[in-house]
Amino acid sequence: MGPELVQAFKYLAAGLCMGIGALGPGFGEGRIGAQAIESMARQPEMANTILRTMIIADAIDETVGIYSLIVAIMILFVA
Amino acid sequence: MFEKVGRDLVWRFRIGPITVALNPATLGTALGVSLVLVFLALWLRRALPKDPEAPPPRRLVPLIFLVDFVENQVLSGTNEKLRRSLLPIIATLFLFVLGCNLSSILPIPGMVAPTQDLNVTLGLALLVYLLTHVYGMRTKGISRHLRGYLEPIPVMLPMNLIGDIGRTLSHGFRLFGNILGGAIMTTVASPVMVEVLLRLLGPILAVPAIPIIGIGVTFFLNGFFGIFYGVIQALVFTLLAAVYIQAAAE
Repeated sequence: MGPELVQAFKYLAAGLCMGIGALGPGFGEGRIGAQAIESMARQPEMANTILRTMIIADAIDETVGIYSLIVAIMILFVA
Repeated sequence: MFEKVGRDLVWRFRIGPITVALNPATLGTALGVSLVLVFLALWLRRALPKDPEAPPPRRLVPLIFLVDFVENQVLSGTNEKLRRSLLPIIATLFLFVLGCNLSSILPIPGMVAPTQDLNVTLGLALLVYLLTHVYGMRTKGISRHLRGYLEPIPVMLPMNLIGDIGRTLSHGFRLFGNILGGAIMTTVASPVMVEVLLRLLGPILAVPAIPIIGIGVTFFLNGFFGIFYGVIQALVFTLLAAVYIQAAAE
């Protein structure tokens, strides 16, 4: 395999990694946000606690996407 | 476009058998942020009234807002004693990470946000990991804190240790990935957005279109990825730090 082909597959792999890896966190964060808004509308007095828990859940959910971003960066620039 | 990413100017020293690498851009920006925070603190301390009952001067209002926010939002759910002792370190962590994130929008050539460097974020995550042990040992005692690793059954010890490592790594990687991703998006998206907008709006705007569109795109990208993501990620980092320490201490 020539170096051009390797480079082309690197770009393809990085794009696929980021694109597929962003599906899960996107879906998960959407669900977290939707449920949090529903709970806040039902119990507005709990809004502060729900917001704090929502941000923590979002951050943990987002970690998967960040991992795929780091793998994509490593494929592009490091390996 | 990408030549600079990840391959910054690095100084290397040899101290005995080990090689120490320093990134002067990261180091300088982090020290600059720290200096700004120190001078801000000294300037604000001079404004403190002698009498605690007196109404606070106007320049202390943002500080009062910040302390109130950290106390009631970030540290909500902790008991009173722990909150008192955690407030300074958590507020300092928040201000430092916020300053580091926001430094990426300053138009100084060669200046990058220190939180784009994995060493900085992992260092902060390790500091938080150390603090969880310190607070755990202080509130529960050394033996009870270490026995927490054998819960619920002693077979779970490797799982608990791996959980600690993964938690600390993901704590550091999250901030690093978000800020670096924002910086890459700003770099990649600005030429594309300028070109597309120029093709769409160029014929409509009779005046020179490039400066207007360029300034607009720069404002939008730096505002979104620099300020909005910077504030959110600083909040997430401190919130998780507070949660980790609280979980170890209670």
